Amino acid sequence: MRIIEKIESRERCAEAGWFAYDYLLDEALNAKTIGALRPMGNFVYLRMLARPFFKIESDYFMIKGVEGDHFFRVAVHDAHRGELKKIEEFVARVVQKDGQRETDGLKFDKD
Amino acid sequence: MIYLNQAATTYPKPQCVLDAHTASFSAQPAGQFRSSAAEADILEKCRRNLGTLLGIEEYDRIFFSSGATDSANALIYGLPLKGRNVVATQTEHNSILRPLMNLKEQVGSVTIVPCNADGRVEPQMVEKAITKETAAVFVNHCSNVTGMVQDIRAISEITKRKGIYLVVDASQSAGCIPLQADRWGIDILIFTGHKGLFGAQGTGGYYVRRAVSLTPYRYGGTGRDSSRLTYEDGAYEYETGTQNAPGLAALCAGVEYVLGRGVENIADKERRMMKALYAGLQEIPGIRLYGSAQSNQGPVMSFTCEGLAPSDIGYILQNGYGITVRTGLHCAPLIHEAMGTCRQGTVRVSISDLTKEADVQALLEAMREICSAAEAGL
Repeated sequence: MRIIEKIESRERCAEAGWFAYDYLLDEALNAKTIGALRPMGNFVYLRMLARPFFKIESDYFMIKGVEGDHFFRVAVHDAHRGELKKIEEFVARVVQKDGQRETDGLKFDKD
Repeated sequence: MIYLNQAATTYPKPQCVLDAHTASFSAQPAGQFRSSAAEADILEKCRRNLGTLLGIEEYDRIFFSSGATDSANALIYGLPLKGRNVVATQTEHNSILRPLMNLKEQVGSVTIVPCNADGRVEPQMVEKAITKETAAVFVNHCSNVTGMVQDIRAISEITKRKGIYLVVDASQSAGCIPLQADRWGIDILIFTGHKGLFGAQGTGGYYVRRAVSLTPYRYGGTGRDSSRLTYEDGAYEYETGTQNAPGLAALCAGVEYVLGRGVENIADKERRMMKALYAGLQEIPGIRLYGSAQSNQGPVMSFTCEGLAPSDIGYILQNGYGITVRTGLHCAPLIHEAMGTCRQGTVRVSISDLTKEADVQALLEAMREICSAAEAGL
């Protein structure tokens, strides 16, 4: 799985000082990949839903998506837009490894 | 897809609106003069229809604009408000608030009248806010956040007694809720075309009672009396530049649709559906409603859900269920202070005459699943 495009979200959230981007994938998001993003922050995963929703939240960014979709959303607070690259890199590594065992050792520097 | 964001823009539009827009856009535009006679007829017909719908006898005093924001700017710039106070309610949309708070050379001061958590503004609070310096009161007829409909007649009695202008923003009510501008004593009324009137985005207008003094905020070509360059006699023209003929043809058809259906019938149908919506949501554990079917009579309502941000609910509904709602502050920031929802806003659900009952039921079913999943998963 890989990220094929990044587009500024139509729902910009800029009203509240957040900027959102949608990342398009070449395959559908699966449970393993979603689970591998867990180290990034507070993790919410509503598995009971027919199309499970997940959200990873920290003080300055948020990642959300739905299992089975070919995209997910990253929102970053304006004051921390410089951190976007670090988030992107970590997510790209997780996505590329498709949430397999190799991601177990991956760590996200929350500072 | 299920679309429950009708308070932003109605969709779908009645077939007659699509036909009118296509016909206007397909027709040859120019006659011997600047615009064709057919276009002038449509604008005249649209004004007349709006007059009938909104209870305005002087329908020639209805002027078209690009929408409520454009109308509010024209009015706040052109009304005699310099150095004077304006009273506005906490429920106003940014289309009113931003011009009021940024056109500082045009408005002396602004006083905001608070509302309760449902969006209700008590008329006596409006009266209390009026001072000797107050020149006008701006009131949002129907809140685009909670669907609260204000008592315009009671507020009008106050403004009449005080001898000041009453400006009513009917953006969220025109076409959905019966409105009688003349009978209720409204001096100035703002409307937009793309909501309950089923017109196109970029259309709308305002009504100004003949006795109200209004200086145009822009001048330009009007297609009439071309040798005239200034307006010393005060016989201003307010519709300058080439008009959006296809958009206004669509608006005209939309207003005809509403008149044909009967605004009372539309209001009844929408109230029935909103009642089902309130009743269904109320039964779901974790949901907090901002208002009730009894007190909030407009076709729009807000809720929040314990444990999930409104934006999460919007995301899940959109991507998990194909249901479009709106989340956040809905361009009306001040009302959220009264609602206690400033930080994340609310989930807003809004319907139109063309919304199906099955759409409302689908939303309720989705919310039952989401809230149950949230309860189990958090």
